Amino acid sequence: MILYDAHHLAPCYAVRLLLGYLGLTAEIRPVDVYPGRQNRSEDFLAINPLGTLPVLIDGAHVITDWQEILAHIALTYGRAWYPAHDSALIGWLGLARDLDASAGLARMSDTFGAAGDAVAARTRGNALFDEVERRVWFAERAGQDWLTGGAHPTIADIACFVCIAPCEDGGLSLRDRPALRRWCDRMRFHPGFVAMSGIFPPMANTAR
Amino acid sequence: MTMLEPGKWYAIAADHDLPHNHIYRTALGGHELAVWRSSDGGVHVWQNRCPHRGVRFSLGEVVADELRCQYHAWRFATSGACTFIPAQPDMKVPGTIRAVVWPVALSGGMVWTGIDPAGSPPALPTGAIVRAIPVSQPASVIAQALADTPLAGLTLIVQPQDQESAIVRGIAGDGDLARADRMLTALRRRIEQTA
Repeated sequence: MILYDAHHLAPCYAVRLLLGYLGLTAEIRPVDVYPGRQNRSEDFLAINPLGTLPVLIDGAHVITDWQEILAHIALTYGRAWYPAHDSALIGWLGLARDLDASAGLARMSDTFGAAGDAVAARTRGNALFDEVERRVWFAERAGQDWLTGGAHPTIADIACFVCIAPCEDGGLSLRDRPALRRWCDRMRFHPGFVAMSGIFPPMANTAR
Repeated sequence: MTMLEPGKWYAIAADHDLPHNHIYRTALGGHELAVWRSSDGGVHVWQNRCPHRGVRFSLGEVVADELRCQYHAWRFATSGACTFIPAQPDMKVPGTIRAVVWPVALSGGMVWTGIDPAGSPPALPTGAIVRAIPVSQPASVIAQALADTPLAGLTLIVQPQDQESAIVRGIAGDGDLARADRMLTALRRRIEQTA
């Protein structure tokens, strides 16, 4: 597999995170989006005319949608991470797109000057965070650790996590969302977790 | 600077907010707090600030019975005393390096703290602890709204966070958490829209 990647983009992180959890490796080809705008170069547009990242090439497959990449990797290499029996998967993936367009946009606006209405994005992001907080809190009461139930996270958790965990970059906060903070910890402590800028790996097992 | 009433106990978390190996984060009366549970089940309420470089403890990690700061991995025992500085592993850590430790009481399924709190926290009725709801209005506004229009079946307490926000906590006497949640989120909408 070849992954065209920009480290700081949440959708790219989602793919790296799924690869980590599944113990897979891909050849990472970094693309300098900020400030280099390499994603608008003719070379990159020849691969993905939309100029978006990530892009995954796996054999004959060239996939340019981040959630389709997650689905492809899960269906091909770790089917349990794509809970096809659970219609909530569709809801969570859609919600994750909304999160990326709100909390994610606020983060890209504040950190990289991306175009868009960051104030409106934060308002929408806060409303979505409140709803995810409510769902996760009640899931915990029912003994469920993950968004779609089951014994481990799925691509639903990954898609939402990458938009929620780095939210303070975009002026949102998890302080008064304790269930989301616990869920983020569960993601961090799940075997195979990989970190990114601002999202710390577990350090409990490092030597004193 | 504080907006807290000395001698009073304030509920700042529910028991279920504190799984092992987790650092809960909240604010009380303008003070940021980090709350964590050691392996003996004890709960610790600290100012959310490492005495070294001021980084929030809630970014760090619980390691056995110590809290480790994310920044330079200084470790702090349950007493608040710094026990180990990785950059100077052979140095005996001066006793003056300490986290700021707050009083703590566990009662009624809640974690309580305050400034020189006296006696025991107030007794709560039996029931289920409802989901805590943050509200972007001062505690006084929320308390007035609750006094004007009590919510049937709920015993509620308000945690002042800062001058502009508070958290509503409480007990549902009938144990119906979903009903309580609908009532409290409606209360939140009403207070935030009308204020």
